Amino acid sequence: MGILNDLKALAQGLGIAGKHLGRHAVTIQYPEQRDEIPERSRGMVVLLSDKETGELNCTACMLCERTCPSSAITIDAPRGEDKKKQLAQFIVDHSLCCFCGMCEEACNFSAIKLAQKYEFSMLKASDLIWDIKTLQQWGKDVPYEDTRRRKNPVRKVGAAAETEGANMTKDSEPEDGEEKKPARTERKDKPAPAAEPVNKEEGQQ
Amino acid sequence: MIVALELLPIFQWLGELLGGLGLPASWIDPIRYGALGVMMFGILAVVALFLVWWERKIAAHIQQRFGPMRHGWHGWYQTIMDAIKLLQKEDVRVATRDKAVFFWAPVVGFVAAFLAYIVIPWGDGLIVADLNIGILYIMAVTTFTVISLLMAGWGSHNKYALLGGMRSAAQVVSYEVPMVVSVLTVIIFVGSLSMVDIVKSQQGLIFNWFVFRLPMGPLAFLTFIVAATAEANRTPFDIPEAEQELVAGYNIEYSGMKFAMFFLAEFVNMFTVSAVAVTLFFGGWNGWEFVPSWIWFLFKTLLVVLLLMLFRWTYPRLRVDQLMEFAWKFLVPLTFANLIVAGIFKYLGWYW
Amino acid sequence: MAELRTEEFVVNMGPHHPSTHGVCRLMLTMDGEIVTKIEPVIGYLHRSIEKICENRTYAQCVPLMDRVEYVTAMSCGYMFAGAVEKLGGIEVPLRAQYLRTIMLELNRIASHLLFYGVTAMDIGAYTPFLYGLRERELIIDLFEETCGQRLTYNYIRIGGVSQDIRPDFVPKCREALNVISAKMSDYTGLLNENPIWIHRTKGVGVLPADLAKAYGVSGPNLRASGVNYDIRRNDPYLLYDKFDWNVAVRPNGDCFDRYMLRLDEIMQSIRIVTQALDGLPDGEIMAKGVTVNYKAPAGEVYHRVENSRGELGVYIQSDGGKKPVRVKIRGGSYNSLMVLPHFATNRMIADLVAIFATLDVIMPEVDR
Repeated sequence: MGILNDLKALAQGLGIAGKHLGRHAVTIQYPEQRDEIPERSRGMVVLLSDKETGELNCTACMLCERTCPSSAITIDAPRGEDKKKQLAQFIVDHSLCCFCGMCEEACNFSAIKLAQKYEFSMLKASDLIWDIKTLQQWGKDVPYEDTRRRKNPVRKVGAAAETEGANMTKDSEPEDGEEKKPARTERKDKPAPAAEPVNKEEGQQ
Repeated sequence: MIVALELLPIFQWLGELLGGLGLPASWIDPIRYGALGVMMFGILAVVALFLVWWERKIAAHIQQRFGPMRHGWHGWYQTIMDAIKLLQKEDVRVATRDKAVFFWAPVVGFVAAFLAYIVIPWGDGLIVADLNIGILYIMAVTTFTVISLLMAGWGSHNKYALLGGMRSAAQVVSYEVPMVVSVLTVIIFVGSLSMVDIVKSQQGLIFNWFVFRLPMGPLAFLTFIVAATAEANRTPFDIPEAEQELVAGYNIEYSGMKFAMFFLAEFVNMFTVSAVAVTLFFGGWNGWEFVPSWIWFLFKTLLVVLLLMLFRWTYPRLRVDQLMEFAWKFLVPLTFANLIVAGIFKYLGWYW
Repeated sequence: MAELRTEEFVVNMGPHHPSTHGVCRLMLTMDGEIVTKIEPVIGYLHRSIEKICENRTYAQCVPLMDRVEYVTAMSCGYMFAGAVEKLGGIEVPLRAQYLRTIMLELNRIASHLLFYGVTAMDIGAYTPFLYGLRERELIIDLFEETCGQRLTYNYIRIGGVSQDIRPDFVPKCREALNVISAKMSDYTGLLNENPIWIHRTKGVGVLPADLAKAYGVSGPNLRASGVNYDIRRNDPYLLYDKFDWNVAVRPNGDCFDRYMLRLDEIMQSIRIVTQALDGLPDGEIMAKGVTVNYKAPAGEVYHRVENSRGELGVYIQSDGGKKPVRVKIRGGSYNSLMVLPHFATNRMIADLVAIFATLDVIMPEVDR
């Protein structure tokens, strides 16, 4: 009978809801408990520093600024009197950034990364525009794989000169018979712009 | 037959104290009644606060999450904090409102919810006044909430609130009929309208409870609980409170403490209909003697309240015309048929 | 005796909604409880994506495409990448195609689970929302482990996918699919035979097949009206013609059928993903010769994808330069929203809420 079927369906619904009463919750109590963030998670943009000297790895090659689809990165890199590139300022506007990760993929010098951190809400929108010192500070304890073949950071002037470890790294010579670099972020065979050996002039376009 | 004032030792002590102070006898009784009223109010306020917290926890655990956890162990004083928050909210009053009607609507609703507790038997000998028209009095008093809904809808000077108020008034009035007729089905076998008599006639084994004993007991219980859910404006009959419906409920223009009164009145109403269901169908305060009777009553009532909460968090909402159709075309004929069958059984003596 | 005169009044079902349909404004002309006219007002979520794309290189357009319809961002990313690949004649490696198919179908399951929760919530049952989202978390976690984001993935690139899956993706994916198929009995048991649900959805809001075809409605809304048209079958892309699966069709076109059809589609998507996981080959994940500065050759192309909401298509016109000349996106929700005034009138407002919920309209696709 229709009525009995209806009653049975209603009781079945109650049973399904009721059986969840004894189950453990699937939520966690934030902020006391935090969820484990996957390794590839894309959070805030940070600038990475050399693991030994603490100097910023950036060479002002401007690839990230050109790749960014949201124009969130602004780099001030004037040429010095000897026509060599210098890094003066590096600004990332996190209110414009869409966290796509293209800057990290474009960088050949392990200089910029999207860290796993996501808790950076600010009270004012202007506080979301971070300059080079803040970016370095946030990137201090971010683990990364240094895939540079040799360290050739650029000379730092202006605001960049006040960052930690500025201008401390000596230009190291390429080792003999060194092998092709491992792929960044476990990608296979994606022909990045730096698949060929990079020397200083080509990298600093 | 007044029971609580005579039997409870605290009120005897109060009476002696006041007599010893030299007050004339005509003053002692009103003061004792007043103290009893304050105590009842206190108990009910605690019950309402507990029910609000419990609903949030039940809803959360059905949905596999936690619910309130911060204020106290598992959030037990969350409701108190919510009440304090509502107290300090601005009392927004519509400028074009009907002043007296707008002001008195929550009061009427609140009072109507609390008036029913004069005859609810909390335990053996624990009833404020055992009126000999007990259950009829409850049915009459719970209808007062309709007046408060209409007053709220009218006084808000808002066509949507008015529509919502009239819809919920129509809903409450329609579901009164099956509720009363289901109650009548049980009263036929008790022979008296007094709540204490109803409970006493279910003494003994668990099979003496009317839900098991009478041949139409389960059906009467089902129709009663459905009608009671509609009376208390709970899902699946919660058109007045639903946010997804465009025409919002009668209480949209209320804020702060006035809103809190409507809210508390709803939970007190829910407890009332559960208490009535327990009294009529589940033996009231009867149970094994090693546990006091009021604990049995509370336990059984909270189980029925749990059932009402499960209804809310499981079932979708009925549309307004489906709701009215369900009441008038299905429940009313069914309960009347049940009543006639009950009458035949009583006449022929086919019950035990 | 004077005749009782009733007036029609206009109610604004405003841009802010209690349910997650997005910012859609419906102006309803009501006669008492009955809705006599519906006028949708859109544009609250217009972000001029198509214009922005004219100033971005092809690779820079890809993260932007996720935002066209963020509930099924994988389909949007593939729509664009597939169009550029068609234009440029790029051959995508087989492993990348398998990965793309898996991701697209997982995204479809997640979107339909969200639909299930939101529809139930609109019709008054609050609990299924949490149950649907609990299962959707499993899929979203898989996505986060693979590409790093939960909603806007930037995973499907021109020429392939951006990163390979982790080694534990396949077992985790199978486990998630097992959990979802097991929980389907919970979902159906809660609602399918519930008399209240049946009264609210059966026979309500019937979309006739010819009206749907006339307005270009596609996807689940069309198939629930009895029309057997699925782009994955009629105009195959990726690997859909290699797998064994059925197109779900339902005859009646009422709210109940639209709801049931999406649950059917979840089961079919589980079939597809299981077969894809079984046959996942090794290989490369990106085509050779596609760089960040890819320039598509001159020409125009239209590529379409079967999204959870219908036909999602993009038309790209290129003159051989770095940036496209014109990008035009077509979303299925737009047609579903525009056919709403033509079959949902003369009903009560509660029915309108149910119909709107089962049409599964997502506003970013309407406004772009």
